[in-house]
Amino acid sequence: MEHITLALAKGRPANSTIKLLETTGEYFTDLHEDTRKLVFYNANKTIKLIFVKALDVPTYVEKGAADIGIVGRDNILESQADVYELLDLKIGQCKFAVAGKPDHNFSDTQKLTIATKYPNVAKKHFKKKGQPIETVKLNGSVELAPIIGLADYIVDIVETGSTLKENGLIVIEDMDLISTRLIVNKASFATKSEEVGQFINQLKSVME
Amino acid sequence: MQRYVMDNNKNTNAQDFLVRDQVIQVLKNRFHTYGYKQVRTQAFESYDMYSNIIGTINKDEMIKVIDSYGKVLVLRPDVTIPLTRTTALNKAISSKNQRLFYVLDVFRQSTEQIDQKESTQAGIECFGENSPEIDSEVIMMATHTLKDLDFNNFKIEIGHAGFFKELLELTNLNNHEIEILQSLIQSKNLAEIEPFLSSLSIEENIKKAIETIPMMYGNPRQVIEQAKSIILNDSMQKILQNLIDVYDILQDCNVDHAVLYNLGLINNMNYYSGIIFQGFVDTIGKPVLMGGRYDRLGEQFGKPTPAIGFAFEVDYLIHALNQEGSTDKQDTFVDVTIIYDKEKQKEALLAAYELRDTGYQVLIDRAEEKLNTVTSTFRVQFSNVQHSILIQNKKQEFKHSAELFSIIRKEDV
Repeated sequence: MEHITLALAKGRPANSTIKLLETTGEYFTDLHEDTRKLVFYNANKTIKLIFVKALDVPTYVEKGAADIGIVGRDNILESQADVYELLDLKIGQCKFAVAGKPDHNFSDTQKLTIATKYPNVAKKHFKKKGQPIETVKLNGSVELAPIIGLADYIVDIVETGSTLKENGLIVIEDMDLISTRLIVNKASFATKSEEVGQFINQLKSVME
Repeated sequence: MQRYVMDNNKNTNAQDFLVRDQVIQVLKNRFHTYGYKQVRTQAFESYDMYSNIIGTINKDEMIKVIDSYGKVLVLRPDVTIPLTRTTALNKAISSKNQRLFYVLDVFRQSTEQIDQKESTQAGIECFGENSPEIDSEVIMMATHTLKDLDFNNFKIEIGHAGFFKELLELTNLNNHEIEILQSLIQSKNLAEIEPFLSSLSIEENIKKAIETIPMMYGNPRQVIEQAKSIILNDSMQKILQNLIDVYDILQDCNVDHAVLYNLGLINNMNYYSGIIFQGFVDTIGKPVLMGGRYDRLGEQFGKPTPAIGFAFEVDYLIHALNQEGSTDKQDTFVDVTIIYDKEKQKEALLAAYELRDTGYQVLIDRAEEKLNTVTSTFRVQFSNVQHSILIQNKKQEFKHSAELFSIIRKEDV
């Protein structure tokens, strides 16, 4: 049987996923909290586990460098990767939202500046509404942008809303819901149907 | 001065060309054995022709050129449409069973891959007949070609453009809703199809059918069984029958092991009307071939013409073969190398001429070092002391050129 390559993003979703896999009986050798290794195998070498940056997971899977990826939907939407999105793992649940200062009042005709880690998501959302925007791509501390005056609003993922609150921002509009998803390369789904199917069923069996 | 680096590092050296040429030769030979004749289309096409045909190539993706009259042209963004036009418009050709193939570059641009503007497509089009026999022969030919290229593991995914279209006919969704639904089905996103469908006003049985389409995937026999449960009218029954007929023939062609059915397959090219399919190999994440039946495209040029075709992405094939390591990267290789001393120049040059005349590839030089990196079957030396030829590390002496030719001829049978 051929081995399958599984791409995970380091962090909380990866830990929950690995826990899920361990309940199915798949243990990865050498895998522990502070390891710096990036490639791991399970006991019978049927699964090769690689750790990549979250936003890169869809890219790895789309290009076929990994057969399966497990990653937040925010990254899938942003990368616009052409992959199968087969399973909702129902972990890491949060949502995309437009947030800004409570006292701000913009007329609809004005062109808005949106600071975000997710420019594609932001553009798509405002295009649907027919609102012209300019995006500023930031890589972190996005909440700062409206306070400093770099942007009118931000588009970001919101879990509890406490970061927003502490920085004096409020959610203006809710967008898509997000959770951790399992994605599969379209070619792997065809050429390794059996292995991929088995892996998904394994995961499903412990989810319910 | 800044060095000029090609932003598109497509493999352009001689070795890469050789590999490309071999791949294309394999494709051409195979197409040929199924009775297809090679054609080409012009590089510049009319922009109007492409923009008038709805649902084909994204206007933004086409590379436009303006001629001296101000007319807008595009660099050939696809081959199927111009070939269909030629076939539909040319009264001299009887459109009954025209079998054509091409190996041509197509040009498109996209914002995601700004450095990828050209790619080579090798494809076939079969005009004039709509039958399960032709459909399965075309799929047979696709698998046959992939086998020729020595891929260890390949799969052809087959769907039907009509299935999803028929279901949509039964609903009254607007374009925006269709677009979302289509992308959810294409990504088999079960987690979101269900809630999305619930938000629309669609009859329960139609909803159920749309919901199950994405997972109708895999073994054709099973998919056919599953599909029976969602048949809602006669036209869907016809489509299912078509899929059954094609599979029956594919089994008799002995290629059913390489075939999967995928009813969730939707091609973004809107002109497909029947069977659609794409081919995958192990080592590359994208389909290496795509195709399908497009009976209604001819209507756009005033003459309905049943047609089916597919095209290989030659660049993907080469990439996949390189990944599998099945292309041999040899160094420079020639048939004969000749080294000579100045005094024997005439004799050596004449020998080289004779050998080249009979078709051998010959490199000749006075300095041995220059030819050291070249691998050759025969190493010939014309020296002041003696003439010799080295074949597989065995050295043989010879007196004059005639003797050399007879040695080479004898070895080369």
